[in-house]
Amino acid sequence: MSRNLNLSQCISESLHLEMERDPKVIVIGEDVGAQGGVFGATRGLQKKFGSQRVVDTPISESAITGMGVGLALEGFRPVLEIMFVDFIGVCLDQVYNAIAKNHYMSGGRIRMPIVIKTAGGCIGSGAQHSQCLWGLFAHLPGLKVVAPSNPYDAKGLLASAVESDDPVIFIEHKGLLLKRAEDFTFGGEVPAERYTVPIGEAKILRDGRDLTLITLSGTVAPAVLAAEAVAKSRIDVEVLDLRSVVPLDMVTVIESVRKTGRVLVVDEDYLSFGLSGEVITRLVEAGVALKSVKRLAVPDVPIPGAVTLERAVVPNADSIEATILEMVDKR
Amino acid sequence: MRQFELTCLQGVPTREIHGELHTGVGQEAISAAMVGFLTKEDALCSTHRNHLHAIAKGVDMRAMLAEIFEKSTGLCGGYGGHMHLFDSDLKFSATGIVGAGVPVALGHAYGAQLKQNNAVAVAVVGDGAVNTGAFHEAMNMAGAMKLPLIVLVENNEWAISVPFSAASATETIAERAPSWAAHGVRVDGLDVEQVVDAFSNAVQRGRAGQGPSIIEAMCYRFRGHFEGDADLYRSTEEKERRRAADPIERIKATLIERSLATAAELDGIELSISNSMAEMLASVRSDPSPNAADARRYVFVN
Repeated sequence: MSRNLNLSQCISESLHLEMERDPKVIVIGEDVGAQGGVFGATRGLQKKFGSQRVVDTPISESAITGMGVGLALEGFRPVLEIMFVDFIGVCLDQVYNAIAKNHYMSGGRIRMPIVIKTAGGCIGSGAQHSQCLWGLFAHLPGLKVVAPSNPYDAKGLLASAVESDDPVIFIEHKGLLLKRAEDFTFGGEVPAERYTVPIGEAKILRDGRDLTLITLSGTVAPAVLAAEAVAKSRIDVEVLDLRSVVPLDMVTVIESVRKTGRVLVVDEDYLSFGLSGEVITRLVEAGVALKSVKRLAVPDVPIPGAVTLERAVVPNADSIEATILEMVDKR
Repeated sequence: MRQFELTCLQGVPTREIHGELHTGVGQEAISAAMVGFLTKEDALCSTHRNHLHAIAKGVDMRAMLAEIFEKSTGLCGGYGGHMHLFDSDLKFSATGIVGAGVPVALGHAYGAQLKQNNAVAVAVVGDGAVNTGAFHEAMNMAGAMKLPLIVLVENNEWAISVPFSAASATETIAERAPSWAAHGVRVDGLDVEQVVDAFSNAVQRGRAGQGPSIIEAMCYRFRGHFEGDADLYRSTEEKERRRAADPIERIKATLIERSLATAAELDGIELSISNSMAEMLASVRSDPSPNAADARRYVFVN
């Protein structure tokens, strides 16, 4: 029986448990305190832990991220909230030049145990508030990148991110944050106590023999729906939720694709130079025999405003189903 | 400090330093003024031109020299290079990105406030950094949160080729301080005593919980922006005239005038430092280079 929670409450519960467990954990960001986050993912934290550990900041992302670096050097474990992942452009410098590189540049002598918690994904907000951008972070060495698809993974991956000695970019999906746990067909059972989900481990949500559908975050649920729809045509799809982009769990991916021989990567991020190409390249490099390969991702256009345009470029259950049917002919 | 920079310069023509090198020759009085005021708990966040600041913070000079000469015995094992020096025990860090050290110092300053350990955080920047967004964001937050942040600006009047006068809306940087509820002062950065007074005052303010300070120390970069810079943007006449005002000659003259030292004593000190730097360089040169097989280490802890 699912508890009466939405996904953002599971995230806030995870932060409560991490802050109780470790006094070095500090949450910093815009509207994270009194308001408890624009999606409620930091609700109740400031009331419980005070305004020194849960800091409402001005709209100053460079200062927030730089502050995280300084606090990490002081021995704290900052959780920085960048409200929407789209806003990372104004502070990417601290993220990729300091947070990602300081451990390396110091020859392993300093650590950056920082979490950047941010909301991505498409909910009809147009080009500057709808991106995923995990491919961008994954391209930059030194950042771990996770993007959960359900409440159970969100709570457990966040706990792993906070206890990690490496920097972790934790990308929530805006379309999932306010969804109730009971409305998830997978991962809706969330224990009240602390647990972790390991970073870098994919999860197979549905077994299948004909095709491996690899995806993550907001497109996992539509992928499962599409897999169920094509099952009526006797097409047996294995659905794999990557959960982490860095490190990429190629062991699970390779094992699945060796079995099915067909791979479809569904990615709500941009198509070119990104996750879908990376997964397929690694499969090719590993010498996995491939009968059929396709990518379904945002086709290198900004996310449009109008819903008719948006549906034309963002993968959904219908476009996933149509792509599967192109790849597997069982007539 | 001068001798350290002159020692670094020896690695450029020999290609022992195979990339850029930015020295602070001519700006020594500013770093020298910080010596003695900072404890281990105080942080110092520096720039691409960071050697003198590191020395002021007490970072081991041999380890620095080895890092700059690309040795595995370097401060960062050769992974950082001269622009990216880190000493976590001394809370010293540097960044090659102009302005980016100020938000990091802000984090140290907030850490000090949380720990209530009476520490201050210093960001040393050049005049180019004060026009970045990061500088403004960090100053504003430091003012809003009354944090013990000290921004020491080495205003050498040139951000590579663009003169400060053409880049700043205000005549001075110090006069901007009130907009961030900070204390601002402009001093002659060639006069170590003026910088000492200003720095000591800023540290006291920080420790007393009186909020951030900006010290604008006027100086001149004696060499190009980096070694190899043709430096045609500054006239020969200007460079010759300004280099004649050497902060080291100035303090030497003061010491002699006040009978605190004789010229012979000062020459003796200089010779002895020069000799010990030569020995240090010879020793560093015999250190091994980092092992190519280790290039992929340290991307992640786990």
